[in-house]
Amino acid sequence: MSALAALARLRAVREGRAQRLTTVRHCHVSDRPMVFVPFQLAGEAAAPLAAMVGTDPGSPRLLVVPQPRDRDLRFAFAAELAEVVLPYVEGFGKVTETVERRNADPYERCLDAPQLVLPNRQGVAFTGLLGRSTRFRRPDGPFPVHPSVPVLGRWLTFFAERASYPGSSLTLAATDALAMHWASGQSDLEDANLAALMGWIDPPPGRTGLQAAEEAEDPLLWPPAGPATDPGFDNEVLAPAIEAYAEAPTAAAVERIRQAVRSQAEPAWRLTWRALELLRALPAGGSVAQRWDYDRGAFTDFLTRTAEGAPPQARRDGAVSAAARLARMERARASFDAQRAYDDPLVMAEYRLTGEAFAGNVVATEPEHTEGEGRSRKLRPLVTVATADPVRLAPGTTLGTPDRRGQEAEVVEVEGGTVTIKITKGMGRGKTPAPGAVPEVGERVCYTSVTDDFQAAAALPEPEMTPWTHGGPPPEYVPTDEDAGEEWS
Amino acid sequence: MDALERRIDELRAEVRRAVRVRDAALARALRAELRRAERDWDATVSEEALDTPATVPGDVLDASGPAPDAASAAFRAALGGPATVPAHALGTASIGSGQVPGALLPGETAGALRSGVASPSAGASGSSESASGSSESASGSGGLLSSSSRRAGGQAYGGRRRSGGAERAEGGSRAGLVPVREQVHQALAMLGAPAAGRMIVAVHEAFFAGGLRAGRMTSLRRDEERSFRAAPYARPYYLCAALTERLSPARGLYAVSTWPLDRRIVTPLSPRVDFLTAARRVAERIQLLTGRGEEPSAAAVRLLARMARNIPGAMPGDVLPPDPADVIRAAAAELEVHLPADAAGRASAARRAARQLADVECLFGAATLSDAARKGA
Amino acid sequence: MKDRLDALRGPVPPLAHDARAIAALAANPGCARRAVLDAAGVDKELTARHVGFPAPFGRSRFAITRGDAFEAQVKESGCAELLRLLREVLHLPIPEVAYHDVSDVGAHLRHSHTRRLIDRAARDDGDAGTFYDHPLFALEIAGHTSYLEPDVIAFRLGGRFHVVEIKSFPVIDGQADPVKVAAAARQAAVYVLALRELLRELGHDPMRASHEVVLVCPENFANKPVAALLDVRRELAVLRRQLARMARVEDLVASLPEELTFDLARDASGIPTRPAAELADALGAVAARYAPECMSACDLCFFCRDEARACGSTDLLGRHVRDQLGGVATVSEALALAEGAREPADGQDEIARLLRYAGELRAECLEGLELEGAR
Ligand code: SF4
Repeated sequence: MSALAALARLRAVREGRAQRLTTVRHCHVSDRPMVFVPFQLAGEAAAPLAAMVGTDPGSPRLLVVPQPRDRDLRFAFAAELAEVVLPYVEGFGKVTETVERRNADPYERCLDAPQLVLPNRQGVAFTGLLGRSTRFRRPDGPFPVHPSVPVLGRWLTFFAERASYPGSSLTLAATDALAMHWASGQSDLEDANLAALMGWIDPPPGRTGLQAAEEAEDPLLWPPAGPATDPGFDNEVLAPAIEAYAEAPTAAAVERIRQAVRSQAEPAWRLTWRALELLRALPAGGSVAQRWDYDRGAFTDFLTRTAEGAPPQARRDGAVSAAARLARMERARASFDAQRAYDDPLVMAEYRLTGEAFAGNVVATEPEHTEGEGRSRKLRPLVTVATADPVRLAPGTTLGTPDRRGQEAEVVEVEGGTVTIKITKGMGRGKTPAPGAVPEVGERVCYTSVTDDFQAAAALPEPEMTPWTHGGPPPEYVPTDEDAGEEWS
Repeated sequence: MDALERRIDELRAEVRRAVRVRDAALARALRAELRRAERDWDATVSEEALDTPATVPGDVLDASGPAPDAASAAFRAALGGPATVPAHALGTASIGSGQVPGALLPGETAGALRSGVASPSAGASGSSESASGSSESASGSGGLLSSSSRRAGGQAYGGRRRSGGAERAEGGSRAGLVPVREQVHQALAMLGAPAAGRMIVAVHEAFFAGGLRAGRMTSLRRDEERSFRAAPYARPYYLCAALTERLSPARGLYAVSTWPLDRRIVTPLSPRVDFLTAARRVAERIQLLTGRGEEPSAAAVRLLARMARNIPGAMPGDVLPPDPADVIRAAAAELEVHLPADAAGRASAARRAARQLADVECLFGAATLSDAARKGA
Repeated sequence: MKDRLDALRGPVPPLAHDARAIAALAANPGCARRAVLDAAGVDKELTARHVGFPAPFGRSRFAITRGDAFEAQVKESGCAELLRLLREVLHLPIPEVAYHDVSDVGAHLRHSHTRRLIDRAARDDGDAGTFYDHPLFALEIAGHTSYLEPDVIAFRLGGRFHVVEIKSFPVIDGQADPVKVAAAARQAAVYVLALRELLRELGHDPMRASHEVVLVCPENFANKPVAALLDVRRELAVLRRQLARMARVEDLVASLPEELTFDLARDASGIPTRPAAELADALGAVAARYAPECMSACDLCFFCRDEARACGSTDLLGRHVRDQLGGVATVSEALALAEGAREPADGQDEIARLLRYAGELRAECLEGLELEGAR
């Protein structure tokens, strides 16, 4: 956490209301997201109890497992969930665009992609578990399930994995998305409670954020947003209802359970949609669309592979693919951080505070400054900026700037309140700079050492070259009968 | 109805509040009131089901069928299980919605129906073969356990039903046909060694009618002891305790009075010996069934697999289901290691017991009745 | 000293701690309030409720049932499942199967029976058991004995005793929830410590109680148990430190007002009659060190959070924020520094400059955004 964010929390305490951490929105919010509020039976590994799911805030589907310990009922739940999720997801495959690439064949990409929104991070983790417990099933063989179940499992796994990919918006956890944009007047541990966080951001009229958050901690007023249910609810409401169903599985018994879980799911359902509304109201940052393009690509890719009958995702990555994944994630993280800073002065301010960036007015320029002789003579304009920022950049450091994203610069000298830089990339081949390429005296500029260059992937061996110290090449993952028949109890 | 639901919600909240501040008396009173309100609600719902074949008012969330009870049947069917509808529900649905569930299985007694034995029925268009279990089962869990379920659309789907489902379907009635003590005796006689409640339940599920619940066995030993004290040896057998080497009743183990004393003694090695013996018996029983051309129940196969995985060499290559012959061989091999020491321990304890204990103590352990009752419970 | 602690508690027996509670003693070692209350054996849960801040903890019936069922499964048939696991994971030899159920004796004898069995095993006189089910240990905490019930003790894995901890959270594809594993390790460490104490008392080498505990959990989504060895040396060290610290609460207690007590003044039926405000004042007399982590570890969390709010403490915002603020204690002080409304005290120059600059940057960036202050 930065001092800037800490200050925002302090202000939130004093104002009784959450404070903005960004000037723009850094995640994509779909026009047609699917909200998924799952609940799980306490004590079980991944026993779904219920889920409220849908694309219309006004008419959610409520799916209920009246006896969560019953394996058949669980698979029936999965099949029902598939009925809701799969048409939504696969519907995005219908309209595509052709994307041209340099040095490669053009490819087809879906024009839009699904977006799965959960109330919180635990919901995402549970989505992953549901995916894990269903993706290896088979419609034939000794323990047949409905054919849609394994497909659902792959998609849920896909969504859960994308959630941990920095900058991806295919899956959002409402609490995380909100906390990225607002600082509440409580701790980040408490921010994990969606109702409490929303209390700070969007308190009901006449309440302070603190009052609203305190109210939100009362499970009777604001049941937890899942997947765990409130123990009091379990003991006093759910357990008797499930027992009644076990005694006599009548419609009334099922209805009683439905009523009970609906009372727990509806508040979270409404809050999640409200959170999306709040996020949608923020203007999108400059790179949001670009990241969504990647998301669409990832979605299209997975859709195609699934359609082609690729095997389900492995239980565990092999050593090399795990390392490659890690490296990919790290790059995505760095890139996401940089993009947010470039898109958003308030995020950039964090780097200015730590001395990794500076902003100020140009006080002098030498636009036709060159380096080298003869044919290797190059245009290297010098720019001197007066700044109040506590610059901590060594000469020679590579810099980028949000104002001229194609350019690269280098620190020449830091002296008192001024920094001199030289522009090293993006100046073209001419003897004089193109108009506007070099900032004018008096212009306000910002430079930072945080850059979003996709460094070449760390040199990792191809999966089939895995050294024996790492277990040798991984066998290609082939799901077994055992996977398909694994107990889910 | 709405008012009733609001009232129920309020009461639930109040109960939970009372529980939170640990006001037990208030919580109890509130709970009682809550139960009353819920009963009223249930009654009203049932009435509405009779009157109006419509969805629950204002319910946009519900995807279920026309009238709640018929919906339940359809729901059950859609879930792929043999639809299990208790008699009263069937009645209601048939009167209310006109969606008369299918004919009851011939030969199924009214008594069984009343207590909720599974009947293939309702909206399920696919047939579900229930009630045709192993030879011993009257209306068997065997059938339930192995029956392949069908989806309403007729698509094969679902799979084996777990005991949870069976338990629900059974509703505690089959236990009523054969007294609990006889059911326990059946299982123990087959195992041939002292066993705990869970094992007895599993064996009964696997080879007999099933539907025995551990909960129903809690007072068994105490009742047997009482009966024995009142009229010693009046019954052909008693379910009694296994004895520790200190001749006190072993916790949670059941035995049969007609067994020789040393078989009822447990030394520290005996739990293992008895487990291996039981595994062998289970495997032999399955061999016997297959030899007669009968299919062992899914529960039996599962039981054998669960036991086999805990015996070294009983499941070569971890292939499921285990071969009973492998299990018998592996169990015998390990038994050889433990048997001599165990037998010596049992024999010496048995000699002591015969010397020191009165008949009743020999069966129920060297402890006072009240003590035994406390422990047995 | 004992008298003083008794007086702090009032005329009721000290609260017996179970392993979970003992493990939690070390959750916030810097907190004097907790140290004093725990050392005196005060019922914190009841206290919190009486001052109007009931703890937010509860356990679902489903979780309890499931936990019990899984434990029963692992222990079934003389620990048949556990035996397989120990043979697989620890290469326990085939003849090692002897099973002792300590609870075969009456409840009042369980502790002495456990001692006898462990003593016999430690002497290794040939007929030592392999499994000791339902043992009962005792551990002295600040002068009071707490009784502890580990799941199982296994013996003869390399001549050592191993604590077996059976938990019903799943291990999925080789991974378990790290928070739950850590909690299990802390709890198991309490048992190891108690077992070592017992061995020491009996005159055996305490180190024969291994610091490696056997954690048994269901694998994936089935109920099949798997086992892993957990090294709890770190947890043991933390625990030992905290227990030693509690033994030294004298200094803390000595500095408290003479007449201070947390007595709930229970009436004949056990209902507290002490005026709540008075009790709250008494609690306030011992300094707390609230942190948001208290919310999952201490019964008094809502009380202490409320107190922290009342004095505008920066602790409320969590460790990350506190670290950033470099020890500025209150929200208003930090804001005053940020807004230049207050001269930095000695040693605050750096943080004051940082905050002030942060304030300026926020103002600069949010200028055009009339939404600031709203949303
Ligand atoms: S809740 Fe209060 S008493 Fe408990 S550890 Fe935290 S600060 Fe200390």
